[in-house]
Amino acid sequence: MTDAKRPKGAKLSEPEAIEKAKQGDAEAFEFLYHLHKRRVYSLCLRMTGNTASAEDLTQEAFLQLFRKIATFRGESAFSTWLHRMAVNVVLMQLRKKNLPVVPIDETTEGEEEGTIRKELGAPDERLAGSIDRLQLQRAVDELPPGYRTIFVLHDVEGYEHNEIASMVGCSIGNSKSQLHKARIKLRDLLRVNRAEKAGKR
Amino acid sequence: MINEESHGLGRGGMNCLQFENALSDYLEGSRTSEQQAHLSSCTVCSNLLADLNLISAEAFSLRELNEPNPKMWNTIEAQLRSEGLIREPSPLLSDFFRRWRTAWLVPVAAALLIAAGVKLYHPAKVGENQSVSKVSIPKISPAPTISAEDKDVLRTVASRPPAQAVAYRNDLDQANAFIRDAQDALRNDPNDIYSQQLLMNAYEQKQMLYRLAVDQGNDEQ
Amino acid sequence: MSSGKCAAAAVAVLMLAGVSLCAENVRKDLHFKVGKHPTISINNPYGPVVVRAGAPHEVTITAILHSDKVELDQSKSHNRVDIISHLLPGADLASGAVEYEIVVPPDASLTLHSDNGRVHAEKLRGDLTVAGNSGAIEVVDCAGGHVRVRTLTGAINLNNVHGDVEVMSVGGDVVMSGVTGSMVAVNSNSGKIEYEGDFSGEGEYAFTSHTGNIEAVAPAYASIDVLARSTNGVVQSDFSLEPKHAPFLVRGANSLSGTIGKAASSVKLFSFSGKIRLKKRQN
Repeated sequence: MTDAKRPKGAKLSEPEAIEKAKQGDAEAFEFLYHLHKRRVYSLCLRMTGNTASAEDLTQEAFLQLFRKIATFRGESAFSTWLHRMAVNVVLMQLRKKNLPVVPIDETTEGEEEGTIRKELGAPDERLAGSIDRLQLQRAVDELPPGYRTIFVLHDVEGYEHNEIASMVGCSIGNSKSQLHKARIKLRDLLRVNRAEKAGKR
Repeated sequence: MINEESHGLGRGGMNCLQFENALSDYLEGSRTSEQQAHLSSCTVCSNLLADLNLISAEAFSLRELNEPNPKMWNTIEAQLRSEGLIREPSPLLSDFFRRWRTAWLVPVAAALLIAAGVKLYHPAKVGENQSVSKVSIPKISPAPTISAEDKDVLRTVASRPPAQAVAYRNDLDQANAFIRDAQDALRNDPNDIYSQQLLMNAYEQKQMLYRLAVDQGNDEQ
Repeated sequence: MSSGKCAAAAVAVLMLAGVSLCAENVRKDLHFKVGKHPTISINNPYGPVVVRAGAPHEVTITAILHSDKVELDQSKSHNRVDIISHLLPGADLASGAVEYEIVVPPDASLTLHSDNGRVHAEKLRGDLTVAGNSGAIEVVDCAGGHVRVRTLTGAINLNNVHGDVEVMSVGGDVVMSGVTGSMVAVNSNSGKIEYEGDFSGEGEYAFTSHTGNIEAVAPAYASIDVLARSTNGVVQSDFSLEPKHAPFLVRGANSLSGTIGKAASSVKLFSFSGKIRLKKRQN
């Protein structure tokens, strides 16, 4: 995403909209909402796997943003600030519902047999050259909540492990190992999905 | 060695289980020659690595995949209006008072700003007890001037016990001094947020003084 | 007259005088039943007001009136209780004084006003607004509501208060210990501002003064984004700050800008000519 975005036909640029929103300008608020709604909503949907929750959390994230917009000082990109806020909104909600924000299993080594050992003797298959986005979305929705959080924050949203560790309250090592397990799990889900489709033909 | 063969031992002495246990670090960029050697000879592990890289790369595409309900903005806007966050633009007042949303501020502070604005750019009227030389240009005058509004408020307070009236006058002088210092700072750089904050706080103090005088005046009737 | 009789007469005179003084003090006890989140307002020009949290749905007021030159006006409508110490002609600081002891439900919203008397509020969970002139104000162990305090010269002391906090005083010193919230704002003129706490809660802390000194003591683990400036005063910090962009020119001893830890909370320390000091707590 680039800064100073100016969607086609729009009168405002993002910095202009931010300044006007600080003064309570309705058009500016709406401009900022439409500019960032997909990213925020997609983030909430990925992390909760649930449309109704995602809508509530998206609303809450934007309301918090607009309540606090006066404090935006421009040291980071506005989108970074907003998305960080949205992540915090989702994490708080997960904590309230006692859903695991940090994956429960803190295993690091030797606890379970590796994926590869299970696959010994299995056909040498890999995913196709590209992955269907909708299939990937569905697979992410099927991940256990803790894995899903780490995967979405790292691979989808681009946060570093030290940032994730700080946000969710786990160690950097835990964040790395759980991300790895999330990806392994996604691979399994995608391969099962593809096998089922192939079987139906 | 039988075990190594059954565990997919490639060249370099690393087996598939060992490779997978270190895969997380490998994907983070920490790579050894042993791992590279194993990959070059092990189809299973190289397929696994390719798939994980693919998943990670495609994940980015999920960022803006979904669109929320089109009615969501209406709900958000209604809430913003109910909280008073959406306002008609008021360039003079909004930046000063937006952040400090208290019930004290709005009615009296607007009058203060207008009065202060008049004071800055127009000479004071010559009153009964004022000499002309003191009032016309605030920048030059070293002695604090009393505005007509201040005089009215001091008259209200005059009926109080003497010690209270004197203390009130001292407080008013302090608030006016704060306003003057903050205005001077702001003249040097109108965009300076530090000076803006000081000026806003100075006016808040004066407004509090006015409000207390009025409230207490009402109490004693 | 014998010395014994003189002594007895003297004692009798003294006792009569004591009785007559006490007779002028009148005690009134008021009791109200209220619903959830009641609103209670006490306006007492002269004399102390002490408020504590008690049982839900009950408001108990004990008032000691120091003379007949002051009356108690009370009104209750729906879920609101208003008490005013009404000064009659001729009342002064002494004769117009009323001492209040009040017990309210913890979730009550309170508005308290006393010119010269001490105000003490404790263990409350609702919104609290206190206005005073020269009397000292103490707010202790309150959380969850919006706390607004203003005085002209009275000292203000907040201890273990959590929630939005707005404090304003022209000449009174403001001392805070264990105060946190999403917004903590102090506006002082010549009074000093002292804060001891961890600036937690990802809040915005803004302490501003005209000439009063500002001193903040924070632990080494504080997570704050600091902006401090004094036009004519010195700014000092015990912390090593990570540099960051400041919205104004950071000049030598008059200002500083930087972050500590994750910079979760924003801390602005602005003074025109007061000295600003950010100290590290010694454990």
